[in-house]
Amino acid sequence: MKINRGERKRVIIVFFSFMAWVILILGVLVKLQVFNYGKYTQKIRNQTNRIFSLHPKRGTIYDKHGDILAISVLSKSAFISNKDKGESGTLYGKIGKKISLSYKERLNIRKRISAGKHFIWIKRKLSEKEFLRIEKVNEEGFSSRIGFIDEYKRIYPQKKVASHILGGVGIDEQGLSGIEFSLDAVIKGKGGKVDAQLDARSQIFSLEYLESEIPGKNLHLTIDLPIQYFVEKKLEEVVKKYNAKGGSVIVMNSKDGSLLAMTSYPGYDPSNISHTKQSVLRNNALSFLYYPGSTFKVILASSALENKVCDVDYKFNCYNGEYSMNDLKIQDVHPYATLSFRDIIVYSSNIGAAQIGMRLGDKRYYNYIKKFGFGNEPDIRLPAAEKGIVNPLKRWNRYSSAYIAHGYEIYVSPIQMIRALNVIASGGYLVEPKILKSIDGVLFRNSKPKRIISENTSSLVTDIMVDVVDIGTGKKATLADLKVAGKTGTAKKYKLGKFRKLYVSSFGGFFPVDDPEITIFIVIDEPKGLFYGGDVAAPLFKEISKRVIMSQNIGYEDQKLPGVRI
Amino acid sequence: MKKKSNYGKLIALTAFVLFTLLFTYSSLNLRNTDYGYEKQRLKNRKKELKETIDLLSAKKAILLDLGRVERIVVQKLGYDYPKKGQIIKIYGE
Repeated sequence: MKINRGERKRVIIVFFSFMAWVILILGVLVKLQVFNYGKYTQKIRNQTNRIFSLHPKRGTIYDKHGDILAISVLSKSAFISNKDKGESGTLYGKIGKKISLSYKERLNIRKRISAGKHFIWIKRKLSEKEFLRIEKVNEEGFSSRIGFIDEYKRIYPQKKVASHILGGVGIDEQGLSGIEFSLDAVIKGKGGKVDAQLDARSQIFSLEYLESEIPGKNLHLTIDLPIQYFVEKKLEEVVKKYNAKGGSVIVMNSKDGSLLAMTSYPGYDPSNISHTKQSVLRNNALSFLYYPGSTFKVILASSALENKVCDVDYKFNCYNGEYSMNDLKIQDVHPYATLSFRDIIVYSSNIGAAQIGMRLGDKRYYNYIKKFGFGNEPDIRLPAAEKGIVNPLKRWNRYSSAYIAHGYEIYVSPIQMIRALNVIASGGYLVEPKILKSIDGVLFRNSKPKRIISENTSSLVTDIMVDVVDIGTGKKATLADLKVAGKTGTAKKYKLGKFRKLYVSSFGGFFPVDDPEITIFIVIDEPKGLFYGGDVAAPLFKEISKRVIMSQNIGYEDQKLPGVRI
Repeated sequence: MKKKSNYGKLIALTAFVLFTLLFTYSSLNLRNTDYGYEKQRLKNRKKELKETIDLLSAKKAILLDLGRVERIVVQKLGYDYPKKGQIIKIYGE
């Protein structure tokens, strides 16, 4: 078949047009599949794959016996998938009354439904009862739906007990206070990641673990739950009895520094931490700074005897209760003409103590104050442990040693005081208090005890402290069948530039004196009516001691105690 | 002719062996997949049981809350606190 020239031209045009079209398509394909391969692969992945974060389970916190203090359990969090504002409103109306929410929270949910938000939290971490009340609402055929997500919820079974030690967590299980905060990195674990492939209806059909979650580690504390409970109960009774502002108690194992109980009043419920005042959250056993008053005479006596300033029977003139020298004015509660070194501590003479302080001298006294741990925060693994205020030596005036001798011009915390008093109980060693027994079964090692005074000095000071309880200011701490060593303290508070008639009463002691096992320190802030440490804090020491003796079997074998006299 | 029939047998035997191998491989593979599913199911069950144990431990701890126990002992069972002067016997371990 012959084709003419015009037809041939048309065939060529059609052929080249077709070829151009094929080349164009090939070019686009090359562009899509070669040059932009990465970009479009990513686009498809974004449409079909979702990366989900897996929240790790927070570790459990136990007391020394293995009783649970804090645990995380799975709970349901409810949300509305808002497809239709009207129906979502009706749906929320049906379930809103069945769960506890504040007025503000209810208003906020209504606002978000009206604004057409697609995902609205109704309540996170529902209680079991709340979940059972609302779980079947989806069966009623609304187009909007209530969804449930599993989330871990922190539970504190003992409620307020040990609240200041435990602290608390936020809504996303992040540590906010206490050991939950200070050891957050250990307890919280590590979140995992999972890559989920979705089908056309957004249903998951395959899961690939990118990173597996690591659950948080479990902590065992040194706290003895029954003792902690008892101490908190008795402290509350004393604070209420004396209409005091607050108080703190610490019970410590004299030998290894393990804390059996540590509390501050008022306490709080850790599961309600977000609604707790900042002042209540403060762990006063670690952060309450105050003038220690006469309890500090124990540190004075130890420093003076260690430096051989005088012996325990050396007599001092006590000026019948009134002593003044230039700007220095010191008074005693009970007037004494002369007192021996021993009796200055036993009867708590401020005038006598001031003279011992001045004899000891600024430099030696300052060095021993630092050796006893004042001015250094304790290594206790809890947040907000204060280091107190010890003026540097260059800021001491000519009377500083006299004032510090009877517990003024220095700010200390209760935990620092128990650490210092325990030096006497432990035969001259500074033992750091510890709250952490083990992490996931691995024993936690405390720093090594440091000898700071000789055994002889600690023995002499123990004898003096026994007399304080037997015949001195601490008689109300006497135990019927067991020897106790202790020291009372009462200090005026300094507020707005002057000393006020507001007091901090304290008592610290240990037992059994032959081989001390337990050291206790008590501080009551601003008691009304009776305010001396010997009247307010010493009886509480006695109550707590009896309970501790009972649970720890202290002195039973050696001293043949028939039991604990109530 | 004889040679031809031997070839036929060889091919049939090879086909049979290959088919048997394929069958064994697929059934093993299927069983393996089943084991995989079972392993995953047991893993999930273990996780669920662990969660249940934790939940029950939490419930037990709530029931043994010392404040609650004290309230029940004093208010419901009518026990009293020790009186002053009373001696509580210490039992050694």
